[in-house]
Amino acid sequence: MIENLIDGPLWYFSLAVFVIGVVWRLGSIIFASRKQDLSVARGAAGPAAVKTVFSRFVPHKEIASQITVPIVAGYMFHLGLFALLFFAAPHVAFLEENLLGFGWTPMPHWAFIIASQLAFLGLIMLWVRRMVNPVSRLISTWDDHVAAILTFVVMLTGCFALLEGSTGLRLLHRFSVELWLIYFPFSALMHTFTFIPSRAFTGAWFGRRGIDA
Amino acid sequence: MKFRTLLIVMCLALVPFQAFSQDDKPEPGVFMKDPGAELWRQVRQRDMEGVGISQVRGVDSGVLINARGDQWARFRMTQLSTYGGFAIAGIFAIVILFYVVRGRVPIEGGLSGRMVKRFTDYERVVHWTLAIVFLFLALTGLILLLGRPVLLPLFGKEVFSLMASASKEGHNLFGPLFLVSLIMMLISFARRNIYEKGDLTWLLRGGGLIGEGHASGGFFNMGEKTWYWMVILIGLVISVSGLILVSPSLGQGRVIMELSHIVHTIGALILMTVSVGHMYLGSIGSEGSLEGMKTGYVDINWADAHHDRWGKVCHEQDLIISAEEYARLQGQKPGAGEMETAEQSK
Repeated sequence: MIENLIDGPLWYFSLAVFVIGVVWRLGSIIFASRKQDLSVARGAAGPAAVKTVFSRFVPHKEIASQITVPIVAGYMFHLGLFALLFFAAPHVAFLEENLLGFGWTPMPHWAFIIASQLAFLGLIMLWVRRMVNPVSRLISTWDDHVAAILTFVVMLTGCFALLEGSTGLRLLHRFSVELWLIYFPFSALMHTFTFIPSRAFTGAWFGRRGIDA
Repeated sequence: MKFRTLLIVMCLALVPFQAFSQDDKPEPGVFMKDPGAELWRQVRQRDMEGVGISQVRGVDSGVLINARGDQWARFRMTQLSTYGGFAIAGIFAIVILFYVVRGRVPIEGGLSGRMVKRFTDYERVVHWTLAIVFLFLALTGLILLLGRPVLLPLFGKEVFSLMASASKEGHNLFGPLFLVSLIMMLISFARRNIYEKGDLTWLLRGGGLIGEGHASGGFFNMGEKTWYWMVILIGLVISVSGLILVSPSLGQGRVIMELSHIVHTIGALILMTVSVGHMYLGSIGSEGSLEGMKTGYVDINWADAHHDRWGKVCHEQDLIISAEEYARLQGQKPGAGEMETAEQSK
């Protein structure tokens, strides 16, 4: 009964909430009405927008030494999670069979283990740093904590179901993924998509004013 | 009736006559080796003298039945899990009893509200990361060690099989994270944990917990230093033995795996039991201790009481900040620091 619910209606419902929610939120940001900028342009906005999207991947030299933990742990977590999400063999097979109809070469098992360990260690360190650093703690909302814990639970249940021999553990993982998908559009997890328009907007704004930032 | 009598007579006729003659000595039997017993003695290689020949190339491939494995399994199922369970339950009982008898150790003179920096953000990230990974490994490890006698009767076979399978995967995956965290801990804290003059005095006075005398300590006292080196050294042993266990294809034989398992479990049990004491003393057991790892700052009175040599340096170098400054650094509203201190002192 519960197996049918998790593999069937709940999966399609969570997927629909995720897709519609993400499109809705991105659309509301991109098509939001803005006041026309009447100032005389001192530089090109377009190239500055593209440049900023990529330049923000590298921290400023002035503050890099003070944010070593978030930088290193951040890259560990995000790269590890990206590799797990799109190159873990069970995920590639699942996407091919259920969504896309085509697949690609998954990473070997040893790479899967290393990627998941990087992701776990990165996420734990990021969350701990959020709690112990006074500034990070002050600017963190309950949503940040829920998003981090939910992501951790999804990864943890995924690692529990690693052997793929237990239906119960597979269902637990899938159920946690469904909760994560439903929570995603309404939370800080949206930064997965919004970081691009956010950086581009800032870059364009600075570029038009001739600011090299 | 006639038939029954006839049957009794026939049966008596079948009984050998010697059975009734008690005085006659029995004829000596012929001693013959049981061919089955000899075969199985060879198969089990009970004497451990030789290894069989096999076409299969691999470690221990010539061993049909590992007799030492039985010993290891019996030790693991009877002694290791039983005494391990008692050790864990015992340390909780001791800590509760200690709290009931001794209560929370207060700071001499109470909290002053004036603070001094003890740990950086990075050091606290390292500490809590190691703590989270350790607790996860301890929990999953205990499920694997004690699950069969403790959890199986409670949850039944289906739920327990899920828990055990999940614990095994989680434990194996998180194991290397413990080693990484341990190395970060070693690099961050080693210098300040080198033993120095005066540490022995702290030990002789029972760390200030036993008796009334003041136990002098530096930045870390003797107890903290000993706990630190226990974590590092036993942690390394646990990590190496754990890596041997999760990598069976590296060429190690069964004996090494069995020994690794025993060393791994005993080491982990030692760390788990002592960590309960560490957690107790670092939180409810000693007033003002948790603040150091929570905010990075400790009350100067706490420093003077537990780490007087370091406290003296803080006074001399004027490293103490006011309650207002501390509240500002922690992003609290003005006055929140004093209120919190007053609450804590109550």
